[in-house]
Amino acid sequence: MAKPDSQWYRLDNAGILYSALQREEYSAIYRFSALMTEPVRPAALQNAIDRVLPRFPSFAVRIRRGLFWYYLEPNTAPGPFLKADVANPCQPVRFREDNGWLVRFYYYRNRISLEVFHALSDGAGALIFFRTLLAEYLRQTGISVPAGNGVLDLEEPPRKDELEDAYARYAGRHALGLRRMPKAYANTGTPEPFYTFHVTMGFVPLEKLREAARSYDASITEYLSAVLIHVLLEKQRREHPHKERPVALAVPINLRSWFPSETVRNFITTVRPSIDPALGDYTFPEIVSQVRHYMKLHIHRQELQAAFTGNVRFTKNFFLRAVPVFLKNPVMALNYYLFGVRPYSCTYTNPGAFTVPPEMAPHIQGMEVVLGQATVPRCHCASISYGDIMEITFAGTQAETDTERDFFRFLVREGIPVRIESNR
Amino acid sequence: MSYCVNCGVELDPSAKTCPLCGTPAWHPELDAPPYFPANSAAVQPASRREAAILLTAMLVSVSLCCGLLNLFLPTDRPWSLYVIGAAVMLWVWFTLPMVLRRLPVFFRLTADVAAIGIYVWLISIDLGGSRWFRGLALPMNGWAGVLVFLLSFLLRGGRRSTLSAIALIIGAAGLLAMGIEFCIDRYFRGVWQPGWSLIVLAVCVGLIIPLRIVRRVPSLREEARRRFNL
Repeated sequence: MAKPDSQWYRLDNAGILYSALQREEYSAIYRFSALMTEPVRPAALQNAIDRVLPRFPSFAVRIRRGLFWYYLEPNTAPGPFLKADVANPCQPVRFREDNGWLVRFYYYRNRISLEVFHALSDGAGALIFFRTLLAEYLRQTGISVPAGNGVLDLEEPPRKDELEDAYARYAGRHALGLRRMPKAYANTGTPEPFYTFHVTMGFVPLEKLREAARSYDASITEYLSAVLIHVLLEKQRREHPHKERPVALAVPINLRSWFPSETVRNFITTVRPSIDPALGDYTFPEIVSQVRHYMKLHIHRQELQAAFTGNVRFTKNFFLRAVPVFLKNPVMALNYYLFGVRPYSCTYTNPGAFTVPPEMAPHIQGMEVVLGQATVPRCHCASISYGDIMEITFAGTQAETDTERDFFRFLVREGIPVRIESNR
Repeated sequence: MSYCVNCGVELDPSAKTCPLCGTPAWHPELDAPPYFPANSAAVQPASRREAAILLTAMLVSVSLCCGLLNLFLPTDRPWSLYVIGAAVMLWVWFTLPMVLRRLPVFFRLTADVAAIGIYVWLISIDLGGSRWFRGLALPMNGWAGVLVFLLSFLLRGGRRSTLSAIALIIGAAGLLAMGIEFCIDRYFRGVWQPGWSLIVLAVCVGLIIPLRIVRRVPSLREEARRRFNL
């Protein structure tokens, strides 16, 4: 946050984009859930929320619309209050409702859920917040959990590094610019009303998944990306289109691995592994190989830096800054459609393994992640592992279940047992 | 513990069907607690009341200022009617949909056309043109209103196919041209002598016929869908 003492904060690049895309029926939202071993005690959880939120000032904000940009300011309104969970998660936020809170907390039986508006933080930042919240909740229930191992100390004040705009800090001299990306297979289905949010989760043994990925000499992210591309290629072929388009995934990359930062705000960029069926048929091992080599070739410091430097320049451009926000928003939404929706068939995000201090581990039995709705009726895929279970979620507002059905059937055929839970 | 015989995945004990393929589950445990809560979040439409009040206040303020200025400053013409008419028209176009969100679109569009009629009427008062208003502007505006009402009624809910919708819009354009020429002829000549509008109508019919054929023949319809990504 650029000027914490002046009581208003500038949005980072990703925040600017997500707030520009905000509509009545769409918000960029995601959810993390922890399955505890015991039923949730709401009073203890509300206490934990009240104690943890001041330690994370970038989550305790409301969003305001300025003349030229949106901005954040500390939210002093009561809340956020813990609510009983709902069947349709990740509903759009309204900037003027719910006291302006952009984070939500839910509980259901032994599940604790956190929903975050993406303009505040990315998955990695939100997981630090969530881990600290779970630690404090366990403390409130009488379990001793020391700070450290990813749990922030609630007694110390927020550090400046946690609130920095890491994009601006690491923006380099070379920008990648807007490259023309071919239109990808859209993978859209029959739209349902925006509040009808379908979630299907698959739980698979991590070791089996790792074995399968290793048999193709790939990481789990590369393997699951390849499975997704494979099922989408087959789905497109079944639809007999006039022209088969490339199948491309948007895979968010956590930039903290390349650019050391303690920020709990956004610091991600996306890469685009793709397969073009116009070049011929690909076997599954060939798809895995393509994805693996694409990741190795394109995920490196220079290219990632050039990718987000262009976005930083956009927000610093004097002439663009002078354009009022109500004119800038539609242009940014069109830009997002052309460069963030049209060239992709699906989003797949894998925040990786959720680790907790040993004192917390016996009290948490699983983790779940849900990526909120897309701007078009198609599903998003997200996965997270905890212990020896990998949880894979398909979520979207489309009526059809083709993508997730083919995906999980493929894993079953590969010898990986899958357990399915769904709100359909 | 039950499995889907189609997908081979393990299902939730309480699941009655496989969420992936819909295959009924074998002996689901109906008393087992569901994995997800049953109650859905009620998501209300975003409130636009504040914006509607602000816009209304701005339009009323502008109209009042201009009206008073026109009343107390010595002028020979009621020029403020132009501003007041424009304010009424803008209010009907932009504020009414904010206030009455559930108003069917065909009523809303008809109100929009009626607002244009009111604006033209106010202009006719200033120009002393009650004759041309009654004989020309009112029938033309009324005909346009009828067509817009019918068109939006027929296209409501997006249930028509794209091809049918295009055919209906082209047809309405042809009928509008006919109506306009009818009104002009009646006003200036006193008798209807169809001319240019027949050419427009013929072109519209010429465009509609292939669209209807494509709509009716399944193979052509499928080809059109594929080619135009309908």
